Amino acid sequence: MTDGRWELLRALGAVADSPAAAGAVAPSLGLDVPAAAEHTEVFILNTPPYASVYLGPEGGLGGEGTDRAAGFWRALALTPPAEPDHLTALLSLYAHLGQAAAGTRRPATAAALTRSRAALLSEHLWPWLPAYLDAVTDVAGPALTAWATLARRALTAEYRDLPAQAGLPLALRAAPPPLTAEGRISDLTGALTTPARSGIILTRHQLAAGAGQAGVGHRIGERRFTLHAMLDQDPVPALAWLAGEARRWQRRHRSRESGGATGRWWHARAAHTAQVLHDAATAGVEVPELPR
Amino acid sequence: MRERARQPARRRPELAELGARVSAARAGAEARGETFYPGASRVHLGAFPPRERWDDWVELSSRAWPAREEHHYMLVPTTCFNCESACGLLAYVDRDTRQVRKFEGNPEHPGSRGRNCAKGPATLNQVTDPDRVLYPLRRAGRRGEGSWERITWDEALDAIAARLRRALQEKRHNEIMVHLGRPGEDGYTERVLASWGVDGHNSHTNVCSSGGRAGFQFWMGIDRPSPDHAHAKVIYLISSHLETGHYFNPHAQRITEAREKGAKLIVLDTRLSNTATHADYWLSPQPGSEAAINLAVANHLIQTGRYDAEFVRRWWNWQDYLTECRPGLPVTFETFQRELAGLYAEFTFGYAAAESGLDAAVIAEVADVVASAGTRFSCHSWRSAAAGNLGGWQVSRTLFLIAALLGAVATEGGTFPNAWNKFVPRPIHVPPHPGVWQDLSWPEEFPLAQNELSFLLPHFLKDGRGRLDTYFTRVYNPVWTNPDGLSWMEMLTDEQKVGCFIALTPTWNESAYFADYVLPMGHGSERHDTHSYEQYDGQWVGFRQPVLRAARERLGEQITDTRQVNPGEVWEENEWWIELSWRIDPDGSMGIRQYHESRARPGEKLTVDEYYGWMFEHSVPGLPERAAAEGLTPLAWMRRYGAFEIARAGGAQHECEVPASELSGTAVTPAGRVYTTAAAPASPNIVPAGAPGPDPQGRRPAGVMVDGVVRRGFPTPSGRLEFWSATLAAWGWPEHAIPGYIKSHVHPSVLEPGQMVLLSTFRLPTQIHTRSANSKWLDELSHTNPVWVHPSDASRLGIHRTGDLIRVETEIGYFVARAWITEGIRPGVVACSHHMGRWKLTGHSQVSAGGMMATVDLHRGGDGWTMRAADRVKPYPSADPDTARIWWSDTGVHQNLTFPVHPDPISGMHCWHQAVRVGPARPGDEHGDIAVDTAKARTVYQRWMQQTRPAGHVSPDGTRRPRWLMRPLKPSAAAFALPGQTRKEAGTG
Repeated sequence: MTDGRWELLRALGAVADSPAAAGAVAPSLGLDVPAAAEHTEVFILNTPPYASVYLGPEGGLGGEGTDRAAGFWRALALTPPAEPDHLTALLSLYAHLGQAAAGTRRPATAAALTRSRAALLSEHLWPWLPAYLDAVTDVAGPALTAWATLARRALTAEYRDLPAQAGLPLALRAAPPPLTAEGRISDLTGALTTPARSGIILTRHQLAAGAGQAGVGHRIGERRFTLHAMLDQDPVPALAWLAGEARRWQRRHRSRESGGATGRWWHARAAHTAQVLHDAATAGVEVPELPR
Repeated sequence: MRERARQPARRRPELAELGARVSAARAGAEARGETFYPGASRVHLGAFPPRERWDDWVELSSRAWPAREEHHYMLVPTTCFNCESACGLLAYVDRDTRQVRKFEGNPEHPGSRGRNCAKGPATLNQVTDPDRVLYPLRRAGRRGEGSWERITWDEALDAIAARLRRALQEKRHNEIMVHLGRPGEDGYTERVLASWGVDGHNSHTNVCSSGGRAGFQFWMGIDRPSPDHAHAKVIYLISSHLETGHYFNPHAQRITEAREKGAKLIVLDTRLSNTATHADYWLSPQPGSEAAINLAVANHLIQTGRYDAEFVRRWWNWQDYLTECRPGLPVTFETFQRELAGLYAEFTFGYAAAESGLDAAVIAEVADVVASAGTRFSCHSWRSAAAGNLGGWQVSRTLFLIAALLGAVATEGGTFPNAWNKFVPRPIHVPPHPGVWQDLSWPEEFPLAQNELSFLLPHFLKDGRGRLDTYFTRVYNPVWTNPDGLSWMEMLTDEQKVGCFIALTPTWNESAYFADYVLPMGHGSERHDTHSYEQYDGQWVGFRQPVLRAARERLGEQITDTRQVNPGEVWEENEWWIELSWRIDPDGSMGIRQYHESRARPGEKLTVDEYYGWMFEHSVPGLPERAAAEGLTPLAWMRRYGAFEIARAGGAQHECEVPASELSGTAVTPAGRVYTTAAAPASPNIVPAGAPGPDPQGRRPAGVMVDGVVRRGFPTPSGRLEFWSATLAAWGWPEHAIPGYIKSHVHPSVLEPGQMVLLSTFRLPTQIHTRSANSKWLDELSHTNPVWVHPSDASRLGIHRTGDLIRVETEIGYFVARAWITEGIRPGVVACSHHMGRWKLTGHSQVSAGGMMATVDLHRGGDGWTMRAADRVKPYPSADPDTARIWWSDTGVHQNLTFPVHPDPISGMHCWHQAVRVGPARPGDEHGDIAVDTAKARTVYQRWMQQTRPAGHVSPDGTRRPRWLMRPLKPSAAAFALPGQTRKEAGTG
């Protein structure tokens, strides 16, 4: 049973690794095998499974977010893998720590391993995964939606199993300041595509839908470019759509009863973003132009 | 419309149930030998193909992208043959073409752990090198003329075997010599020579690591340290030679691990090396002052009482020191401590600062950091300072003094004797010690030399000390590698001095041009060898193998000769030496053939499969069981995985108690050395170590009494760490019997006005002497060797900018190179890497050597030799389209030609540092120019020889050399007797 617990988490992580890995483990998880296209849509194009994207100050791969995860591996005297903040690697490490604690005969070692596992969950997994898995369900087809649901169940079980952590994880304590109404358009697009600033996860998929709802053209490009184009064409409906999106995320964060301080933090960030965007849309502000 | 059948509600499985299901699926997949989690890195927390998939590993072609073109590989392990680290490689053998497509790291290798430096993957360049030697060649014209004819292996074997047989039958054993460059194996060639009864092993070690080795051997009877860098608190390196050159990959990765855990790295290197750039303390001392710095650190530990007195009391031979050197004093440890406090008192920080040019406060700070290490102090010194200076061997001896003071010997994070971290499996046949002594390699003048005086060979032949009938070089290029290479050329072109010269080499080199036979030998993926090196506290053995042979055998083919799978007619040495030995002694009457015969099929030739199969079956503890668990023979297991870890965390073996079964008829000396009449226990590990001799009653040393317990101790005469060396004292050097400071031949006090010190010993981490020079990737990375000049010197000397031509004058000539003006070198010192300056001679059209060899005119006139580039490297057409893309023309300068020989009178090490004059190039000078007067080289040789104290004058027992000291291919006891003397006693000197 104990081994199964860790193997389940490892297998859930493996699904995010590659279509081949997902295909190999999905049946034993009781999931349909996701098509390669669905896998790519979710894990490559819309919701890349890296902690740095959701916790890092720039909302992108690498940088401080990755360094923080790498530092955790090093603190355990482990050599960080090439992508230390990838969900697969983090869940593999989590399973490894759990299995090692179960396997040791020395109570002190087991306790240290369990503390390490708790820290991994509270610092590097729980701060982003609940919101991340919600974002996946926005994008995914049935197979990966089922995966996200199962992953949420398993993670919530882990979260409940570990002692409550006092305070916020470092990534959120050190998060960059929230969105403001001032500044240039690049500041706005940057903040909105940085979950740790905005409290929302704005995927390509959502942007495409949002452009339609706001009645503006969807210019395909990287997300900041797309957002810039939306605001450029007609800022008020674009801002109104964004405010609605932020409110949706606000509700999502609130609905997570077990989120603790982390959940409250995300909720507050999304609420703030919603308010700022709403105010801007209501005031009909002109978004300052950025030199192209 | 058909009504859909009502589906029962799907029960939501419990997490535990799902977990059990996944576990069962994984167990089932792995029981079938399959991998449950495909992909390599994230799930397995590693970055390598899982070993169970090595028979059919699939990768997508990067060149075909976005199309999905699969490559199916067999992954076959072997061992890199570029530097000495012996890192594991995995050859990716294409299952369709049966060719190697790439080399990556072998994750199963305990030393390198799947990692490689640039040189490992570049093995592919060596294999596919369009310029390599593919067929046996014999010279067609005069020696050195450059005309060659292809011959068969049979022709070569028959002719060479006939020469050797004649020499042996005529008792001219000492006219046979095999000169090794990188050994790349553990003793195979030595045993071939022993089987012939020849003391003809010659190594490159006295131009390499002898100085470093000697200092360690005098301490612990073992000539190599094994630092446990990964667990150290303080890492102290005298030069970065190992960490950027020799043991680059295995050491660097462990140093990095230690630093991530907070270890401090101290590097003493006059030049800003790659390692120095990572150091917490980079000390750039005046060359030759390193021992003085070490002694100042040691003195600090002593004066502040921050040394491990208990370790010193238990393990140093302080009683011997007091008894022999302070006979009037009571033999107590307290007396010794008082003595010790006085012995090094002069080595203050101020003294070290004055000698080294460093800031005394910095040395003091470093000493405090060292003191804080406790027993987690790992240290190393190999080439550089120990190889550069007169008395350089005291650099490693004083370095180990620090470790021995801290008690950081064979501790976690400390420094081990290498023999405890190395495993040399006993082979199927062990021929006896040869009964002759080769004076050309082990001359009487150097009774304590660590290794063969190889670099003096041309001078010894010019002296008329002997001649060579048959001289082999084996992965060695003496003309290019040694100092005074033009004297080598004079020797090799003189058929009176060298009757037949055979170059066993994969590629052309500067020595092979003068050979009578050039015989192609395989690269790292084309030959068999075993290896073991000290890289952490553990023992492993690695296996080098012809990967295509192993791959084809996996597919069911039977390969009986490595030439069947190698390119052209490239062979490997094991099979070559076996075949040659059989042809020397075809009917077994000379007693040679028996050592190259099958045991399983007496009278038949030994095969490599039997040779290694026997070794892995009988001499590698744990391997047969491990192999059996996978249903494999030990040989098949090694062919599949490439390396086996025999032991880990062996710890302090000197502390092991000697079992009672080994202690019958014992005698104990007053200092605690324990001798026994019990036979030594058989060991499958024949790792080289000191061999202290028996007591006068013939009892063998079994251990040493420490506080009433007989412990294994060290392989020294005393059984302890020898702070005071009775050997040095008895063999003519009592003034250097304890760790001390010998002022270098380039000490500022002996430099003439205007002279500077030239450091010539440093490597480029992406090249490795002759062996790597046909690796196109490495050549593109590194192909020249500018002279490092400090900006203040450049300004003083009138060198205006990087790239300016400069002339560097040595005692016997000069070379012209380009300047690199950099603050990475100490003022007053210049530096030039020895890795570059390859050349071939004009008119040698059959010689080809890629992008690294300039074509030169070599001229001998009244004033000596001159060399000038006639043609630089340039693009050229070949089977490899990349040769048309060579973008560089500068291949550096061959500075070693301009260095005279400097044999250290004790260690025998060539002292590489040169006192030079540096200035702008003269009118008419061209880059790469060389001028050398070999008559002057003779004078320098004779001057240095005057510093020696020959065994005939100093030997305490009528022998040529202390028999306990390590020596490759040690002759029989009788051969140790000096000429004209009866050996009074062998070995205990």
